[in-house]
Formats: sequence, structure tokens, C-alpha cells
Amino acid sequence: MFHREAGIFKTTYAADAALYPLPIAKWTIAALALIFVVLIPLTVHEYYLSILNLIFIAIVGALGLNILVGYTGQISIGHAAFMSVGAYTAANLAVKLGLPFWITLPAGGLMAAAIGVVVGMPSLRIKGLYLAIATLAGQLIIEWTINRVPAISGGAQASIEVDRPSLFGFSFNTQGSLYFFLLFFAVLAIVATLNLARSRIGRAFVAVRDQDIAAEIIGINIYRYKLLAFAISSFYAGVCGVLYTYYFGIANYEQFQLIVSIDYLAMIIIGGLGSVLGSIFGAIFVTLLPIVIRLFMEDVGSLFFTQAEMANVISGLRLGVFGGLIIFFLIVEPEGLNRLWRNVRSYFRVWPFSY
Amino acid sequence: MTRFVRSWLGVAATTATLVFGGGQAFAQKELVFGLQCDRTGPTATVGVNLCPGYHDYIGLVNSKGGVEGFKIKVIEIDNEYKVPPAMEAHERFKKEGAVLEGLYGTPQTAALNKKLEEDKILGTSPGFGTAASADGKRFPYTFPIAASYWSQAGAAVAFAKERLGGSLKGKKIAYIFYDNPAGKEPLPILEDLAKDEGFEMRTFAVPAPGVEMGAQILDITGRFKPDFVIAHLFGRAPSVAIKELKGKGFPLSKVVAFVWGSAEADIIAAGGMGAAEGYNTIQFAGVGKDFPVLKDIEAMYKAQGKAAPKEMDSTVYYNRGVLIAALHVEAVKNAIKAKNGAAPTPEEVKKGMEAIKGFTLGGLVPPMEITPADHEGGGWVQIWTVKGGKLVKSKDWFQGYRPLIQKHLDADAKKS
Amino acid sequence: MSEDLEFAFALVLNGASIGLMYSLIALGFVLVYKATDAINFAQGEFVMLAGLIVAVVLGFEGAPLVAAIAIVVIVMVGFGFGLERVVLRPLLGRPVVAVIMATIGLAAMLRGLGPVIFGSETRAVSLPIGDEPIVLGPASLPPIQVLGAVVAVLLFLAFSWFFKKSRMGVAMRAVADNQQVAQAMGINVERYFALAWAMAGVVSALGGVVWGSMLGVDVHLALVGLKVFPVVILGGLDSIGGALVGGLIIGIVESLAAGYLDPYVGGGTKDFAPYVLMILVLMVRPYGIFGKRKIERV
Repeated sequence: MFHREAGIFKTTYAADAALYPLPIAKWTIAALALIFVVLIPLTVHEYYLSILNLIFIAIVGALGLNILVGYTGQISIGHAAFMSVGAYTAANLAVKLGLPFWITLPAGGLMAAAIGVVVGMPSLRIKGLYLAIATLAGQLIIEWTINRVPAISGGAQASIEVDRPSLFGFSFNTQGSLYFFLLFFAVLAIVATLNLARSRIGRAFVAVRDQDIAAEIIGINIYRYKLLAFAISSFYAGVCGVLYTYYFGIANYEQFQLIVSIDYLAMIIIGGLGSVLGSIFGAIFVTLLPIVIRLFMEDVGSLFFTQAEMANVISGLRLGVFGGLIIFFLIVEPEGLNRLWRNVRSYFRVWPFSY
Repeated sequence: MTRFVRSWLGVAATTATLVFGGGQAFAQKELVFGLQCDRTGPTATVGVNLCPGYHDYIGLVNSKGGVEGFKIKVIEIDNEYKVPPAMEAHERFKKEGAVLEGLYGTPQTAALNKKLEEDKILGTSPGFGTAASADGKRFPYTFPIAASYWSQAGAAVAFAKERLGGSLKGKKIAYIFYDNPAGKEPLPILEDLAKDEGFEMRTFAVPAPGVEMGAQILDITGRFKPDFVIAHLFGRAPSVAIKELKGKGFPLSKVVAFVWGSAEADIIAAGGMGAAEGYNTIQFAGVGKDFPVLKDIEAMYKAQGKAAPKEMDSTVYYNRGVLIAALHVEAVKNAIKAKNGAAPTPEEVKKGMEAIKGFTLGGLVPPMEITPADHEGGGWVQIWTVKGGKLVKSKDWFQGYRPLIQKHLDADAKKS
Repeated sequence: MSEDLEFAFALVLNGASIGLMYSLIALGFVLVYKATDAINFAQGEFVMLAGLIVAVVLGFEGAPLVAAIAIVVIVMVGFGFGLERVVLRPLLGRPVVAVIMATIGLAAMLRGLGPVIFGSETRAVSLPIGDEPIVLGPASLPPIQVLGAVVAVLLFLAFSWFFKKSRMGVAMRAVADNQQVAQAMGINVERYFALAWAMAGVVSALGGVVWGSMLGVDVHLALVGLKVFPVVILGGLDSIGGALVGGLIIGIVESLAAGYLDPYVGGGTKDFAPYVLMILVLMVRPYGIFGKRKIERV
């Protein structure tokens, strides 16, 4: 955020670990709240709200994956499978028992967390690539199970329709109302992650990531914390899956295949590993990239290509740029968009008196 | 500093594109069609041939002055066979004032069913989505407009019966399917038919990615030894199945493939047309280039001084794209006529779609009749067989076991 | 032999030949990992790229197969060298997730740009081996599977010889063992890294020819990459022999699962069985059957 930091001194550890590092941050938050709660829903076209909605859901999932990969240094290629666990748990509860979203949503998260711990078990013994592949196996086995067990999947179609979430008789059934529904959970996830990161647990995660054996020596039970990281991360993923379910009105395992796990990995790598802001940037970036490339090509591409060629070029280009950007960020800016943002910020911090 | 400038340039470009790129002027006498496609995802080989067919037919209509004086603008969005981009695409179409949209992909159709109904814009899902969505009362804005997997199952069994001499009593039929929801969908129909017709059926699942199925084919040809094989496969799996069955000496004339395993590409990849002699395919649109509308498209390209696109050679998918576009245009034409030449709303286009009847486009489109209750249009299919290096029509438009399909549709409607 | 036994034999034979074809792809992966510790999630896309090139070359009127294979091998070697220089070298010493992600990005690039450059239609790669099944006792195999298995075994023998006997192979092993010490002994580590990627390119080129002929060539060809992981984990990431044995085991397990488990489960267990087996192996032997055990120090 843009604030000058001069003249602020921290005298206690508590102040250093505070959620708002500067008093002025409260005003920034208030301004952001004003923009997102009042300004945007009033002024922006429904189409842009629908994109924002997708971004909000992606933020929840990206934060979860970042807790595991960015903070704790484990790898998971099974994130999407945990989303499907959450999605089907919530859908089954909502349809078979008629439970409202404020029960199914945490229930979906908890179920995903439980499965996440099981899939995370191998992390106690293996790491790096082996763990990546073990979670890949987890992804495929969960997909397989959902596809095969009608009690979970609700029949051969493996899709369960759910009603839109409603609260006190008000149904969230337009992009506009879903906007508030999803915004609430995205903000909740952001605040929860910020708090987690500055707590004992978050710091233990970072210790495990940076040097697990050393962490164990200073008294961190790394097994416990690794599994905890899997559980928390899967909880987020489960909630993300529930949000998708309510947003689309259907739980369908084909929404949560391997490619989705990879998209989420791309989000946190492009955004910035081990940072909340990075997860948000990554979610925004990966969601917007195809849309922006398409809009850009619709305007500019017609100068170079015929209409018939264009559709193919746009699609190929989108995938190419997506892959290229991942590589670019890894090589040039491993800390991702979050780092770019910090560069911008530090430039303005001393502006106009930079050296 | 440079790093900083670069970052901001990026942000500025993004914002500019978002703000200015989105708001095209809405010209008079223009109707917008939305088309979702998959050109990069798991079904890319279908999309790259199907969607050009759609564009070319619309181009043809526009070159002849449009539909009832309205030019058509198509917005195509590649949803990559992912669900979130499909939702984004739908919202974009809505923003641009689309009167209807072409959906693409089964999970995408499932995820948009509800939204289409809420927004009152019809979406067509030929070959995708659930068989149950043929029921116009349950899914008022979803239009399969082509034979569902249930109808295809009925047709496949009817064809097998014909080929096996008019009776299936005591015969053995193997059903080899891609192990996903779409692959499992025809099972209830097949199981019922097995009981009714008295044949023995066994199922053989091919899990994703389906690049290898030696063991299943061995099981079919070595142990089960069926009289007929019904194959419902996707992606590269149909080619592998053709190759493996042939390798084990099973006659391909005793095989019938569902609509997504029946394109030229599948047969070419299996070693060329010559290598798949006898292979039977179910089709929901006409195959080959022998249709007046395709001649018109070729003439249109010639008039522009261009060669006809190479996608036209992949006639199975290309013609399906033409079929979808033609039905879209027909629906809009009905709606405009009903309104005496004024621009129709999406809801009126839906009524226009439900009034389609006796529109065959020179045989490329089946003699379907779409009604408010039946959005599938009757579930008509043709069988085309590989003969002498090309696909030849071996059974004209027919419906397989329609009463049974209807029974299942009614039962499914009651369940919900 | 009784019919049941014949069926079992046919299943095993089919599984073994397909398994060796998996090994063919896994070899490329292992070569890279062995020498450079890099994990290549784009192995399937390498094979796809090679297949596309072969199909494009063969698409020209009268282009002989030998020329097509020669061209694809040369192009893939160049691609391997270039890739190492541009993408992998800057990532040296980075955490494992960075390399994984870079190759995932590379995979997306190849899948996106490949069809734009080479065309998106499905093409056939026809090899002059006919399609009369080759009969082995009570079972028979398609010739392409026999060819694939033979190529895999030949490559295995060639690379085994290379690593055991040739000067470059020994140097490469030294690099794999300890980069710093190897460098101190006057071995140009970076050159050997590039060589490893180029060798992976050669293997992918041959994989592209064989698998392209089996499946036809388009973007779907990249799907075979998914089969690599259980094979290499089972065999050990850095063992060439492991890739061969792992492939055999996975192929046979898949085949038997499809033949004997599917009828009871009522669905495809084939993609599922190898991963379950893999998890079990990971639990008991985290470094695979033939993999090198690593000792970690703080």
C-alpha cells in the first residue's frame, strides 16, 4: 500500500507482528472496503463482476496452495482434487440433507482437510519430486474414486445440482449478489491467512520450509506441522471447491482435473511464493490473462490475421504466453508479481526524492 | 527504474484493453451469436475443425445479405474445456447482447444450465451435456439439437440388430467406453435393451487418457468373443481401438462407434482410411462434401479469391459446425418472422428454436422437429461406414428405440 | 495351454510390450534427472513435438522415412541444447518446484504454439512395418509394439554402455554424483548438462516416431507423458535400468488389472493401479527399486 513509513517506531514485538503495520493502513483498508463494497458493485457492468467473482474464488484456492507450497515448502499437484472433495461434500449435504451453505461450506473444507492429511502422509517420508508425484497420485485416485462411487458422485453423470446459497430467505442468484457472497469469503480467507502467517503456526511453517532438520532441532515437530500445512491448505481448497459449486450451481468432478491443479500452481508462482499479496496477484493474473489476450487480439489481431485464422491464433497464443510467462517469471523474477509490486511501492515511497 | 516503468506499462495496457476493448458499439441490424469452442484443451482436435464450419456458414449467410436483413456477428471464445472460462464467456456473450450461444463441452454445459435459465438465453449443446437435457420442460434453455448418448445407444443397438440378421436373441455385444460420465451415460439404455432384446452385454472401461487398451481389446476378442462391439470413446482412444481390434483380427464391420469416435481424423490416425475398411460410425450431421451448402461455401471462398479452408476436408466435424450454425440461423429466422422483421429478444429466439421443423439443408441436417418438450429434435442419426477409403452412408436418418428413450426421459424428469 | 492360461500369457505379453514403450518415454526423463537433477514435466510434449516434426516432414511429397527420422533427431538435439541454455541453466540451484514449474510452463508453450506452427490437424505416421500382427505362441502383438519394445531395449543397451564405458558417460556420472567435485576435476559441467538434454531430445525423437505411429500425431500425443511418472518412481528416478524394469512392471500391472480387476470393479482400474502400486513402493522404498539413496545433512 502507498504509505510513507517515516516517523513510525515500533517498540514491542507485538507491534512488529501487528496485522496493520502502520496506523494509516487502517484508512487504506477502509478505502479498499469502500471501493469493493460500494463503488464497484454500483458502477461496474455485470460482466466485470462475473470476472471478479471468478477471481475471488481463485484467491481462496491460491491462498490455500500458497500456505502449503510457499510457506511450508511442500509440493502439491493435487490441489484441484481437494476442491472436488469439498465440492461433493457440500453438494451431498445440501441436496440430501438440505443443509444451508453456512454448514456445508465449513463441512466441505473440513472433509477436504481430512483427505488432505491422508494425501499429505507421504510428505513425512519423502519430499521434492517424490512428494509431487505422490500428490499427483492422490489427485488421480480421488478423481477415480469420485467417478466410481455413486454414493459420492450422485450417479453416472457424477454431477450434483445444488440451489443457489441463500441467507434469511435472500437468494444469491445473480452475479451482483454472488459478488458479495464471494467477496465475503475471499476477504475472510485473506485475513485468516495474514493472521496465520504472523502466528506461531505460520512461523513454524516457514522454518520447516527453510531448513526442516534445523527446525526440528529447535523444537518444531515437523511432522505435525507438515500435516497441519496439508490440512489447512486442503481446507482452503475444499472451501474453494464449495464456492465453485455454489457459483455454478453444480458439483462436477470434471471441473477439478489435473490441469486445474497446475493452473493454481501457476498462480502462486507468477504471483509470488510465500506471500498473501502474491496469491491475490496470481489469481487475478491467471484469470485475466486469457481474457486480456483475447480482447487485445480482437482489437489488434485483425490487422495481421483473417477472421478464420484468428480463433486458432488466439487460442495457441494464449497457451504459449501463459507458458512463456511462467518460465519468464521463474527466471527473471522468482518472487513474482508481488516483487514487482514492491518495486513500484518502494519507488513511490521516496518519490519525488529518489536518488 | 526501468523495471518500474515496465511494470506500469503492463498495468496500463491491461486496463486500457479492458476498458476500451470491451465496449464495441452495437450496430443497427446486427445480431450477435456467442460461440464457445475448445481449440487447446483435451478436445482440441474436434474444436479446430468444428468451429471453422460454424464461422463459414455464418459468413455464407452474411455474404447473402444476412438473415432477414440482419447481419450476424459471431463472438468465439475458447473455453479450453475448463468451466470458469465458460462462465466468463457466457457473461461476455450476455454483455454483447447475444441472442443465443453455442456451448462446448459436457462439464461446461452442466455448469451453465442454471445460468442460461436465469438469464433466459438459449444454449445449444450438440453431442455434449446430459441426455436428460433433451427434456425441454426440465431444461428450458438448453438445446442438445442432436442425438444424445441415449439416442445414440438406441441407434447403435438397432444397427447391430439389423447387421446381425434382425434378432439379437442369444447374441453377445461388447460395450467399450471411455471411463468418464459421458461414457457411462448410455449404460441404463443398453442394460434395458439387453433385457428386452435378449442379448448378453459386457462393458469394458478405458480410463483416461486412453492411449493404450491392449488388455481390454484382448479381453473382448480373446475371452468375451462378442458378435458386435459398440464403442464410445473420445480423444485418441478411437484410433487406438480401431488399430487394436484390427490387430486382433476382429472384423471392423462388426464395430459401431458413437459420434465422438467417428471422424476422419480418428480413422486417419489409426493408419489411414484404407486400414479401417468396414468401420461403422454414428453421425448426427451429414458427412462428405456432397451438399449444396458446402458447394456454396466453396463458391463464397472462390469469389473472395481464396482457397477453401483445409478444415473442410475433415467433413465430419466441419459439417457438424455447419449444422449448429444453420440451426442457430434458422431459429433466429423463425423469431424474426414471428416478429414481422424486428430484432428478436433471446426469449423469442428460444421460441424460434422450438419451432424448427422440416429444415434439412439438403440432407446435412436430419429431419428433426424441435418442440418445447423435445429439445433433442427426435434423436436422429445416420450410419456411415468406411468403404473403399472413404466414409459412405450405409443407413439413412433413423431413430433407435425412441419409445424406450422417451420412457427414460420421463423417469428422469420424475426423479428431479 | 488352457484358455485361461493363454489369456494370462497374452495379457502379460501385451503389457510387457506396452510397458517397454512407456520405458522409451521414461528414458528421456531419467537421462535428464540422472545428469542434472532436473525434473521434466514436459516429456510428453517433447514426444508430441517430435511426432509433429516427423509428420510434417513426411507430409512433403516423397520424403523418405530415414530423412524424416534424421531431421527430427537433429531438431530435437538442437531443441535440447537450446532449452538447457535458455531455460534450465538460469534455474540451476533453485528449489525443485521452480524447475517443475518451468517445465510445466514449457509444456503449455509447446502445446499452444506447436499446432499454430505445424498445423492442428491429425496426421498419421506410417512406418513400413505393415499391420499384420506378429504371432508369439498363443498370443500376438501389433508390429508397432514390437518395434517400440525393440527400440527401447536397444536404447537401454546403448545408454548402459555409454555410462559404463565411454569417457563422456563416466564424466556425466561424475557430474551427477557431485557437481562441484566434478568441476574441480576439470569437467565442464554445463556442457554435460546440455548433453543430457540433447540425449533426452534423441530419445523423445524416437519416442515421437513410435508413439506417433501408434496414436497418430496431434496435441493428444502429449498425453503419453502422464505414463512416465509411475514408471520412473517405481524404477528409481536416476536409474536407466530402473526405467526399463519400471516400465515392464507398470505395463504388466496395467494389463493384468484391466484383464482381471475391471470385470469386478466395473470400471477402468488401469490408470489407477500403477499409481497405487507407486504409492506402496514409495512407502517402503522412497527412492524407488533401483534409485540411489540420498543422505541428507543440514
